[in-house]
Amino acid sequence: MRRISKFYGSSQALKDVSLKVESGELVALLGPSGSGKTTLLRIIAGIEDADPGSGKVLFDDIDVSSTEVGKRRIGFVFQHYALFKQMSVFENIAFGLRSKPRRERPSNAAIRAKVEELLTLVQLQNFARRYPNQLSGGQRQRVALARALAVEPQVLLLDEPFGALDATVRRELRRWLRKLHDTIKVTTIFVTHDQEEALEVADRIAVMNAGKIEQFASPEEVYERPANPFVFRFLGNYNLFHARHDGGPHRHDEPENATPVTFVRPHDVEILRENPDGSAIAAKVTHIGFAGAAVNVELLRHDDQQPIDAELTNQAYRDLGLKQDDEVFIRLRNSHSFYEDYAI
Amino acid sequence: MADAPIVNAQTIPTARRAAKRTFMARLLIAVTVLFLTAFVVLPILNVFSEALSNGVGAYVSTFYAPALNPDAKPTMYERMKLSAERDRVERTWSSIRLSCIVAAIVVPLNILFGLAAAWAITKFRFKGRVLLVSLIDLPFSISPVIAGLIFVLLFGRGGIFGTWATNLQWPDPTSLTWQGFAGHWWPLAFARTYEGIIFTPLAIVLATIFVTFPFVARSLIPLMDVQGTEEELAALSLGASGWRTFRTVTLANIKWGLLYGAILCTARTFGEFGAVSVVSGHIDINDTMPLRIEKLWDDYDMQAAFSVATLLAGLAILTLVIQSIVEWKTNRTQAAESRELEVKSDEHRSAEDQQILRLLPGAQGREP
Repeated sequence: MRRISKFYGSSQALKDVSLKVESGELVALLGPSGSGKTTLLRIIAGIEDADPGSGKVLFDDIDVSSTEVGKRRIGFVFQHYALFKQMSVFENIAFGLRSKPRRERPSNAAIRAKVEELLTLVQLQNFARRYPNQLSGGQRQRVALARALAVEPQVLLLDEPFGALDATVRRELRRWLRKLHDTIKVTTIFVTHDQEEALEVADRIAVMNAGKIEQFASPEEVYERPANPFVFRFLGNYNLFHARHDGGPHRHDEPENATPVTFVRPHDVEILRENPDGSAIAAKVTHIGFAGAAVNVELLRHDDQQPIDAELTNQAYRDLGLKQDDEVFIRLRNSHSFYEDYAI
Repeated sequence: MADAPIVNAQTIPTARRAAKRTFMARLLIAVTVLFLTAFVVLPILNVFSEALSNGVGAYVSTFYAPALNPDAKPTMYERMKLSAERDRVERTWSSIRLSCIVAAIVVPLNILFGLAAAWAITKFRFKGRVLLVSLIDLPFSISPVIAGLIFVLLFGRGGIFGTWATNLQWPDPTSLTWQGFAGHWWPLAFARTYEGIIFTPLAIVLATIFVTFPFVARSLIPLMDVQGTEEELAALSLGASGWRTFRTVTLANIKWGLLYGAILCTARTFGEFGAVSVVSGHIDINDTMPLRIEKLWDDYDMQAAFSVATLLAGLAILTLVIQSIVEWKTNRTQAAESRELEVKSDEHRSAEDQQILRLLPGAQGREP
């Protein structure tokens, strides 16, 4: 079993973060800009150093904190690929092998075979002689991945691997990455600020905020059972109620530092024409936005004039026959309440 | 008719370019061409025409003294004239040699310094970085004569370094001679030593370094700034040593910029007059080519002065040619890079924007 643990003293970017990644796992570090996710990745890689005397980075229980980046056996993929412009795709991928000390360096034939194998793996067999500026963004990213894999790293680290690509290529490439990981089973940590990407690709997600890991769990758990309001907010859209959903309007008698807040996903907001048991909330439809498979409905609560977003399936929308300014009732299917201890 | 659209596509840009060439554009082009002809092309042509004004023979005699005819019995006057001629030619050659030696020392040093400075400034963030950048530019804004004077005040009599600088003995590396093993364990020796720094070739080297050191650093800094450090980090993470990273990644990326800087530095080294003039002390053995030209001119030997000047003009033209090739090459890589960078940052920004939009409470409609 491979273990990576990191403990840092309180630097500004990271506050005593520790993370343990299982061997062969695909882990996403998810967080907004400035949450310290890239810093964490760079410390694992050895590109940046943790504060002296703070924490350790362990690979397989071996402390590599003081090992320099080239000897850590990591593969690092940069957001902007960082391919060597002056070298062909072949030479880019062969670079790591050619950089080995003379004793460990494979023969030219072995290097050639290895590069061919990697080119096949990333589906770029016919591009060996091209130069990076002759490739598309997605192809460059795959070359960068192949280059990192060439040195057979213990850990593969990807810094916003799809951040610089357009939406369709990104979606395609992340599915491909998932498949690739299932094939080669190398422990992978990738940084992203795209929750959809993290949810779709990762085995486990570490949601980061302000230098801390807020939650480290499987995608289902992070999405369905967020540990705190931040995680809930970060993973998708939400409605916010400053009171228990069964408690009616905003209650001002709660202590200020312990206001219960309730989060509800828009797709968990049910829209009803009738109010059978009197528990539903009356609201008015203010806007209807058609978004392909889903329909986004904006509503305004009658009791406290709070806006609410609902997301309906196309089918439900048609069944209801909603129009703007319709008077409806809403019910919350699945809500999460937290005591918010910080201002919004 | 299948190829009709292609024909159109090719003609459109040309048509647009032609339409842009209005009266104003023509006027500006004409003014520029006239100005350059009057102030650059004509003077340079004049250098060559003056140099050859007394015929090719006279031009050649600036560099080669007439051979002694063994049969002829020269008169005293003729012998004196010949000896003066030989002396003149020898001094010209000595100035060419000194210029080449100075360039051979200064240019490599400035390449090393420029690389180190550009590296430090672009790849690291440290206090005083901005100050360092402006310090590098300092020689550009100081008059070369003042630069020369600074060295006189540093190393001259009563200068800051005082008697240490004026008494310093150092061997002339060009005077290295074979003295054999008789009585020595070491067969080489310097035939000449210099005393002091100022008014010796060492001062010329120092002053030239001072005047020319911004060129390499200046041409590398913008280039390396655009390139950032990611490629180097990538190379290091793949296990490459620092030296290999520098050689295969950094140097490969900056080679055209480096060559461009080196060429400018070389051109300035050969052409530098002010600073060198002050520190040379107007001693004949300290003459570089520009100083030699001045002396010939002062001796009313216009034709010879112009003849030596043709060498510098020729060097300038050669520099210009190489420079435009290199500039074209660097611009091409730089343009490609900045274009890439722009695209990258745009894409990145739009991703961040989406992110921010998603974070807004109740934001909807962007994700199915």
